[in-house]
Amino acid sequence: MPERVRQMLPSVLSVLLALGVCWALIALTMEPGTATDAYLQMLWGGIGNWPAYLDGAAATVITRPLGESAMKAAILTLTGLSVAVAFKVGLFNIGAQGQMLLGALAAAVVGAQVSLPGVLHVPAALLGAALAGAAWAGIAGLLRIYRGVHEVISTIMLNWVALSLVDNWLVVGPLRGAAEGGQSITGTAEIQATAVLPRLLGEGSRLNLGFPLALVAALAVWVWLTRTRSGFETRAVGLGAEAARAAGIPVARRMGMAMALAGAMAGLAGAVLVLGTEGRYPGTLGAPYGFDGIAIALIGNNHPLGATVSALFFGVLRAGGTRMQLLGVHKSFPELIQGLALLFVAGRMVWLALLRRRNVAPAASAEVPRA
Amino acid sequence: MLDVLHSLLFSTLDAAPALIFAALGAVLSERAGVIAVGMEGMMRVGAFCAAVAALTMPTPLAVVMGMLAGAALAGVHGFLSIRWRSDQVVSGIALNLVALAGGTFLLESLYGPNGTPPIQQLTRWNIPGLSSVPVLGALSGHSAPTYLALLLPFAFQGLLTRTPLGLRLRAVGDKPQAVATLGLSVPGLRWGAVLGSGLLAGLGGAVLSTAVLDRFEQHTPAGLGFMALAAMVFGRWTPVGAFLAATFFAFGNALRIGLVSSAPGLVELIPQGVLLALPYLLTLVVLTLQGQRSSAPAALGTPYEQESR
Repeated sequence: MPERVRQMLPSVLSVLLALGVCWALIALTMEPGTATDAYLQMLWGGIGNWPAYLDGAAATVITRPLGESAMKAAILTLTGLSVAVAFKVGLFNIGAQGQMLLGALAAAVVGAQVSLPGVLHVPAALLGAALAGAAWAGIAGLLRIYRGVHEVISTIMLNWVALSLVDNWLVVGPLRGAAEGGQSITGTAEIQATAVLPRLLGEGSRLNLGFPLALVAALAVWVWLTRTRSGFETRAVGLGAEAARAAGIPVARRMGMAMALAGAMAGLAGAVLVLGTEGRYPGTLGAPYGFDGIAIALIGNNHPLGATVSALFFGVLRAGGTRMQLLGVHKSFPELIQGLALLFVAGRMVWLALLRRRNVAPAASAEVPRA
Repeated sequence: MLDVLHSLLFSTLDAAPALIFAALGAVLSERAGVIAVGMEGMMRVGAFCAAVAALTMPTPLAVVMGMLAGAALAGVHGFLSIRWRSDQVVSGIALNLVALAGGTFLLESLYGPNGTPPIQQLTRWNIPGLSSVPVLGALSGHSAPTYLALLLPFAFQGLLTRTPLGLRLRAVGDKPQAVATLGLSVPGLRWGAVLGSGLLAGLGGAVLSTAVLDRFEQHTPAGLGFMALAAMVFGRWTPVGAFLAATFFAFGNALRIGLVSSAPGLVELIPQGVLLALPYLLTLVVLTLQGQRSSAPAALGTPYEQESR
């Protein structure tokens, strides 16, 4: 088996196993038929109802679900990239959630308070979000570099600080939108029309510029990591900071830069959420896409393109999850699949041991691969 | 004034035990060298199982069920991170995500969005004679976990610092190779610590749904498992330190809730969000000041490999 395939197999098998376990969960509590139907509904809800379309239904049966999937996939790709980039330099970014909140807030403020022509407004809001996320992640980076504070603890704390400050103070206090038409609103003011991410498939589908943006970001990160000197140095630090330092690589700078980039990606995820679908920072951002990013990155083997593929897959599942409601399966079901898949990926060593026993001659199996 | 202090103390003593148990669990696990980011998930599972079990059995027994459920989840963590030497943070986060989604899914499928049906809460004990004493009277009228939470940290501190088992547990988190050269089992000790932390986190969760509330709610434990980590760090990885930090956080929370209802003017001056962020901000400040001299166990997060001696 080629090395590249062998690296990917644990993730693929984990996702399949998670799908199987969850199918059995419905089959045991309801009916086996219901489980299969629910999975079909999830698929049609995610990639569009092709059978209905081929039977002559309007094109929206395809474009609407695809738009929902793409929207979720874009955000998951960006938070997944955030975690993956930090991993490449050897840091575990648990803080994508907090960085995303800050980015979403920055995008909402720039989108609503600043007046710019359309060509400049969206880039300005995106830039603001990226900077806010980078600054928030930068705190954890600086604490790690200069004070040796472990980034897992500091980013967990920063998540809760961000949540408390943004959701319980800024959004309900100083930055709260003015009441319109006598109705008091929760969250910040509506963003201006110039700051809205343009829709790509018309009004029937929520597919917007955020999706290509996320794909470009993933490609850019991949090119940076594999084709540039600083990207190479970043990976070298991740593989062994001491060896990298001995080779003359500026370890602290690479760590700081990677952490800032990770924060920028999470910040962009928040911007896509606000500028693309919410239209403002709502009372609470709700969905924990930042934590999902951890699962997306690890299932994608911490590779920028792997993370993109896993984000696309889970974006489809989660968009389709709402359709499972029709069969009495709660819409949180795809998140359960995702969580279990991550749990099985965490057992990477078990998979590798199983695969080795089956496929490789004993002589070649002396070294133990490290996750 | 005394009345205010009395009610503050009373609500602190009601709310603190869940946090204290989880913080102690985190200390136990991390002192043995296994990172405890999975506390939140273990608490959630404990809370859910206790609430469901209490529908059919006496509540104290249901609390035990919650503890066992927490330990079961900890068993998965141990299997992945001790037996297979997986990344401890990955496995902990995975458990959190599974517990979060699984709890929501089971709750919605079995009982609907409003939580499980109400159950019989744990009985509150009135200490005769104490109730009428000003301020100190707040000690009376709590359920058993509160009193356990006041005693357990000191017993645990004694175990950790004064017994051979405690010495071994600390050594396994600081220098596992040294423990192995004594002929003791590193994985065995770590398994014990991780399962123990699962029991404690499960107890913390069970307390939430059987003493603080009377059911399992959608968002339980709403980040308390992460606050337990903050308490552990703030208390410098010692049981009594974590206990004091957890009590301090719970007191601050009771104070905040009291202020919102009694002195809304003050809350406008210092926004609620800032007060909510304080425990985490303080923890960050403590970590920054400690810097490299952090009291974290030396081998924390490093899987033990027999051959690497």
